[in-house]
Amino acid sequence: MSEFTISRRTVLAGSAFLLASTALPTIGLAQTPKKGGRLVVAADSEPRNLNPAIVASNGVFFISSKVVETLAEASFDGKDGLDPRLALSWEGAADGLSVTFKLRQGVNWHDGKPFTSADVAFSALQIWKPLQNLGRTVFKDLEAVDTPDELTAVFKFAKPTPFQLIRNALPALSSVVPKHVYESGKIEENPANNAPIGTGPFKFAEHKPGEYYRLEKNADYWGKDQPYLDEIIYQVLPDRTSAASALEAEEIQLAAFSAVPLADLDRISKVPGLKVITKGYEGLTYQLVVELNHRRKELADLKVRKAIAHAIDKDFVVKTVFLGYAATATGPVPKNDPQFYTADVPTYAFDVAKANALLDEAGYRRSDDGKRFSLKLLPAPYFNETKQFGDYLRQALAAIGIDAQLVNNDSAAHIKAVYTDHAFDLAVGPPVFRGDPAISTTILVQSGIPDGVPFSNQGGYKNDELDALIAKASETLDTAARTELYKAFQKKVAEDLPLINVAEWSFISVVRDTVGNIANNPRWAVSNWADTWMEA
Amino acid sequence: MNPLRRFLGTPEAVAGAIILIALFAMALTAPLIFPGDPQAIAGPALLPPFQDWLLPLGTDRLGRDVTAELFHGARTSLAVGLAAAAAALVIGAVVGTLAGFAGGLVDEVLMRVTDAFQTVPSFLLALAFVSIVGPSLGVVVAAIALGAWTGPARVARAEVLSIRERDFVASARVIGMHPLEIAFREVLPNALPPVLALSSVIVAAAILTEAALSFLGLGDPNRVTWGGMIAEGRAVLRTAPFLSIVPGIALVLTVLGVYLAGEGVVETTAVRRSLS
Repeated sequence: MSEFTISRRTVLAGSAFLLASTALPTIGLAQTPKKGGRLVVAADSEPRNLNPAIVASNGVFFISSKVVETLAEASFDGKDGLDPRLALSWEGAADGLSVTFKLRQGVNWHDGKPFTSADVAFSALQIWKPLQNLGRTVFKDLEAVDTPDELTAVFKFAKPTPFQLIRNALPALSSVVPKHVYESGKIEENPANNAPIGTGPFKFAEHKPGEYYRLEKNADYWGKDQPYLDEIIYQVLPDRTSAASALEAEEIQLAAFSAVPLADLDRISKVPGLKVITKGYEGLTYQLVVELNHRRKELADLKVRKAIAHAIDKDFVVKTVFLGYAATATGPVPKNDPQFYTADVPTYAFDVAKANALLDEAGYRRSDDGKRFSLKLLPAPYFNETKQFGDYLRQALAAIGIDAQLVNNDSAAHIKAVYTDHAFDLAVGPPVFRGDPAISTTILVQSGIPDGVPFSNQGGYKNDELDALIAKASETLDTAARTELYKAFQKKVAEDLPLINVAEWSFISVVRDTVGNIANNPRWAVSNWADTWMEA
Repeated sequence: MNPLRRFLGTPEAVAGAIILIALFAMALTAPLIFPGDPQAIAGPALLPPFQDWLLPLGTDRLGRDVTAELFHGARTSLAVGLAAAAAALVIGAVVGTLAGFAGGLVDEVLMRVTDAFQTVPSFLLALAFVSIVGPSLGVVVAAIALGAWTGPARVARAEVLSIRERDFVASARVIGMHPLEIAFREVLPNALPPVLALSSVIVAAAILTEAALSFLGLGDPNRVTWGGMIAEGRAVLRTAPFLSIVPGIALVLTVLGVYLAGEGVVETTAVRRSLS
């Protein structure tokens, strides 16, 4: 891997020899990686389907990205923010109708069969495009994948598709699974979905429901001297408070994805031998969003939407709900995105008087009990923070005379209520920004999405101008022009408030200081951990 | 010796009564002492207890006043406990009386239904009911009553079985009273005391069940509940344990108070009955 990169971080990540010979001042990792050891990690959920080619979500990647690899991985300073994995290079045609991938040589599947371009073609056409939650949008115009030789795959698109989008989609959407395992029978019912077979540094060994997942070293891995670890155990600890105690008791060495509650971090950072790390999640930004049901006549009024935006004290939310481990949001693209973010959008300062004035102006005067109207508020149950923000929002709305009634649901019921039945007025949602607005962000405001598509615009919002902007950006090939269009998109969303972006947050890892090479790429927790090592 | 003096003579009963009176006082005065929304943000987040005399028990993760939440939580706990127990007693007494008085097929059917409810753990039943219907105060009360009426039903039936053979029942039949009238006007009132003796146990259990449901996030989210407060505090158990401990103590005291006072009442009435 080190022959392709010259960056400091990847050198650190990849090569023991170079690391030993360079005297770079590093964050306490200036030691030679050691081989062997078992890394025990806290896992808070047990996904049933572990096939990342079908379910492209962080819960699945957390485990299966070590087993099934993608064509490329996100990188702090690789070209275009990417590091090669199964593909060595990628090139888009000028007309936007094809992308050529050169694949890595000498890679074998965990069952011994060689990895070839046929596997890439099969994964792209049979799984990413028709079955994958995110691939359905990004690869919708993918027509064919030509395989002139075993190490070349040429993606052919029916309509011009921006190369920038394909590039940005590679880390999350391009998990390659073996054709010979999946070609017979129904892909969704293949047993390999529960015991994945890939090319990654670790092989899937076993899953004991309610106890653990075990991955073991792939001795035949293509990375030189990798992986370092012998085993990774995902210890199932559904109770968020138990991860901290397990770390302190040295039962586990790593709790990623904020498995340790934010309120506990201050205390745990003082425990000797434990480190709190905020790096390694830059590519996994979650957005705290108030989804609005525009079918309610009050919410269809821009003045009311603006009043709600003015009623939310974003700084308070960041400070109290996220204890500082978040940033306030200005629009639908997070501030930490290097390619698309623009600060040049209308903002809504916390101003209760102004919010009240806007509501009066809109004609919703307070009745005798001080209330203007009542709304149903559904906070998403996936995170403690979304639930707490729901509690906060109820109070913030009470201050401007809107009586919000909280409705709590479990995950399945919440998704059905909001995205299928539209039985909400306000919902608190945590959409993910995945490096390109076209992957999972524009869908939040675009109209014409069928009922039941989760994490999409199900609030009945329709704005022709925004729809046209989104359509134009999706077929603009020039990177600079495309970026400009998405800046205009951010401005328009902030102006018209189809939804209200409140904050952006990512996760925190707590780790024993005996673990090396952590947080060395922007999607570290969901990357392959080939270079992670442990002191004996 | 009059029953009140006998009641006051047992220290446990007095302790229970004092706790209960304090609790009722809390519940009744909550809107006067803490007017407005108890869930309003009142100060800095995670203020420890006894730091600020305006917020004597500190604040939670969002800066809500724990004291106000505790007082308003007492209302929810008591309301749910009493309503669920009342519902359970009414359903149980009616079903038991009907089964016992009618006998035969009606008895068989009603008692098998009772058996069916008794075989399912009452908490599971409540959990399933709330997760299907959706959490709100009325649903929680119904869910708890659903699992609690079987005890009163069995006791009522046993009493009715013995009472219906008494002479006064036979004479009521002779004067041509309607069987339902006999069942509910003549038999049920006489069968009631042992059924009511169950009430303290049921109230205590109902308060605990409500707390457990709220703890699991199945309580009414628009009301303060002690179980919900404990659940909220759990995420910060190591850094701010008081958030779970304070409502936890309130819950323990309440259940203890209800139980002790209930026992006291049962004992005094039992003595009176055996004397008469």
